[in-house]
Amino acid sequence: MRALVVFALIAAACDGEDDTFVEEGGSLEVPDCDYTITTRYGAEAPRMSGKTVGSDPTPRVVHLGIVGDPKTSIVAQWRTVDEMTTVTEIRYAEGANLSSDQLTKTVKGIHFRYNSTGTDLYRVHQAHLCELSPGTSYSYQVGGGDKWSPVYTFHTAPDIEANPDAEVVFGFVGDSRGGYDVWNQLATQIQMRAPDLILFSGDAVTIGLTQPEWEEWLAAAESLLATTPVVLTNGNHEANAINFYSQFALPGDQENFGFSYGFARIFVANDSPDDPSALTTTIPVAMDADFTDNESAKWKLLMHHRPMWSSGTRHGSNLMLQEAWGPIVDKHHLDLVLNGHEHQYEISKPLAGGLVQTSNATGTVYVVAGGAGAELYGYDAPGFWSEYIESTHTAAVLHVRASQLTMDSFHADGTLVPVGFTKTK
Amino acid sequence: MLLVARVAAADPEADAERTFREALARADIAALEQLGAARPPTRWSDDAWSEAARLALRANDFDRARKDLEQVIAGTGAIGSDEQLVRRARAELARITNFAGSAGEWNAVAAEHERLAPAIGSGGDPRPTLVKLEQLVDRNPRYPRAAMVMVLIAQGWERDGEPSRAVAWLERAKRTATSPPDRLRAHVELVHVLIRSGALDAARVEIDHLDASPLMIRKLRDELATARLRRTIRWLAWGVLALLALIAAIALRRAAGSWRAAARRVLRPPLEVLFLVPIGGVLVAIAFTGNPLIARAVLAIVSAGIATSWLSGAILDGQRRPLRLQRIALHVMLAFVAIAAASYLAVDRGHVIDFVIETWRSGMER
Repeated sequence: MRALVVFALIAAACDGEDDTFVEEGGSLEVPDCDYTITTRYGAEAPRMSGKTVGSDPTPRVVHLGIVGDPKTSIVAQWRTVDEMTTVTEIRYAEGANLSSDQLTKTVKGIHFRYNSTGTDLYRVHQAHLCELSPGTSYSYQVGGGDKWSPVYTFHTAPDIEANPDAEVVFGFVGDSRGGYDVWNQLATQIQMRAPDLILFSGDAVTIGLTQPEWEEWLAAAESLLATTPVVLTNGNHEANAINFYSQFALPGDQENFGFSYGFARIFVANDSPDDPSALTTTIPVAMDADFTDNESAKWKLLMHHRPMWSSGTRHGSNLMLQEAWGPIVDKHHLDLVLNGHEHQYEISKPLAGGLVQTSNATGTVYVVAGGAGAELYGYDAPGFWSEYIESTHTAAVLHVRASQLTMDSFHADGTLVPVGFTKTK
Repeated sequence: MLLVARVAAADPEADAERTFREALARADIAALEQLGAARPPTRWSDDAWSEAARLALRANDFDRARKDLEQVIAGTGAIGSDEQLVRRARAELARITNFAGSAGEWNAVAAEHERLAPAIGSGGDPRPTLVKLEQLVDRNPRYPRAAMVMVLIAQGWERDGEPSRAVAWLERAKRTATSPPDRLRAHVELVHVLIRSGALDAARVEIDHLDASPLMIRKLRDELATARLRRTIRWLAWGVLALLALIAAIALRRAAGSWRAAARRVLRPPLEVLFLVPIGGVLVAIAFTGNPLIARAVLAIVSAGIATSWLSGAILDGQRRPLRLQRIALHVMLAFVAIAAASYLAVDRGHVIDFVIETWRSGMER
């Protein structure tokens, strides 16, 4: 084993690859994509695929993400069994469930290492595919040399101009930390509903700096995450760890960003930022600007971790966010606000200005779905805003069409939660 | 103008879209099915079948959902057929087959399961539902989701204060589960229930036999170690409180001269209690405007504080000579130990201590 590591080091030196780790972060313009990847302090600057093949370059914990327009781009991310391999490639072709022989196009990716605790360095590989066709299935596999992942299939977001009848499906889930057996069950249930995108509302792991926990989380849902891109928000347990930002390619600054998928405009916000003053200053400004720029979007959704409205006894409603973000939610008439943090399922009545509305045409519905595996919390009496509450492990799927947005939540065994959400425009 | 209106009215795609929107808004399955079957097909045909299937599924009409989904798949390749809708229809059909059987043989059981499941965690008395779920799996032990129904039953009994019944159902779920994820879920849930109910030795045995990842096993072992530590601290805290109560009783007896006099003295609230009660009352009232778990802990701590100061005051009031500095220091230290022990017990109840630890690690709720 040691000989193999030495061999890999020598091979890296012979390739002329600089192996020095500098944790200052950095940026790299991604070829053929109109964006730049920036790593943070704790990670090194991203580099283009190298030539080093380590002792075991087998790809693992493959998962998809989005940085650019999901109609035309996607990011495949993975780690290898060894930490030395720098070869980073993706093979792909248009079509679902193709064999590896049919993957005719190859693109080189990028890689970088990060350090969370102690002296261990973890390397993550990313392959960015851009200029894809909207609403199209692609087969792909990642790796390099003679070690490749299985072939997976993903598909791009539809072009709603060309397809007014397009429907997209989002899986929505949060708070799996520690309960990876339940997370595995829920991921399977979500996958059975064939979503296009996963929205994860934070607290995937208990301690964001613990790499083995991330690996457990990714492995428990690999067949879902290798075929469906995931967009996560930072929860209080991720705690802005470098592991989180390094392993998940996300749009913008990875903390507060908006993106469009099908007929939906989704803004993702970090409500546990390193600088808490951002909660009342830069974040609401960015949120307001994004929804203003996308005022014509058919459906507007906000996802963050700590709920503004919750009947849970553990954390309850976050009054500060109600004050700082609530007016923006009301101003832009958001349709749904998606949260976790409180380990139960709760859906609110339509609210505007903190008051219950008679119909969801004039109010926003707040959903807490923090039951992806973490130990469940209880509740006393439901708040005046509460439409339904259940202390249970759940996930949900959102069906988004031009004329209707629905949300069906389900338990870990697949049975439906009786109260969901339907809004027609 | 009239011509334009006629042309618009004759546009089958526009008509179909309007019909689709209206049927969707009314959640009208029959109208959606009619639109799906209309000829010639439009781009909305597969959407109509797909939405009809979803509404049928919500109504637990699995056969109807199945037929509607088959129509989406049958339309593959037709003009306007959406590749992604077909993909989802195939997945949904497979899911229905998984729990309702390939010929719908478990339709009725699955519908009953769907109807009963939400009642366990949504408030109210879960017992009648638990009994019905027990009968459901007893009558249908080969139901594909039987093991998960058993896990649900166990969760219900544990919440209802009967952990031994929960353990029995989880052991049965472990034996019944046919897939590794279901078996793991039942086994891990069993370990959790054993730990929460204080059956720590049994939990250790179950962890030893658990077929799970090293990280999951390590996490459960950590959980078990924490439970052991907390149990030890709990016993110590109760022991300390019992000992201090005994010391207080003896000190009171010595100061008062007899047990009867001591009892009389302890019935009369000392001056400091008269000050402390309203302050404590305000603290508790404020606490109850916030988190009820924290409020209950605050109430317990304030009550323990008042009880300690009451006993302390009663003992000090009975002193005939001025106290020496060492005696005062000892008195204050013992009062502090009593309140610390009571505070631990207050936060240990209802797992408030986990909340305290989380706040310490992740910062205050803002």
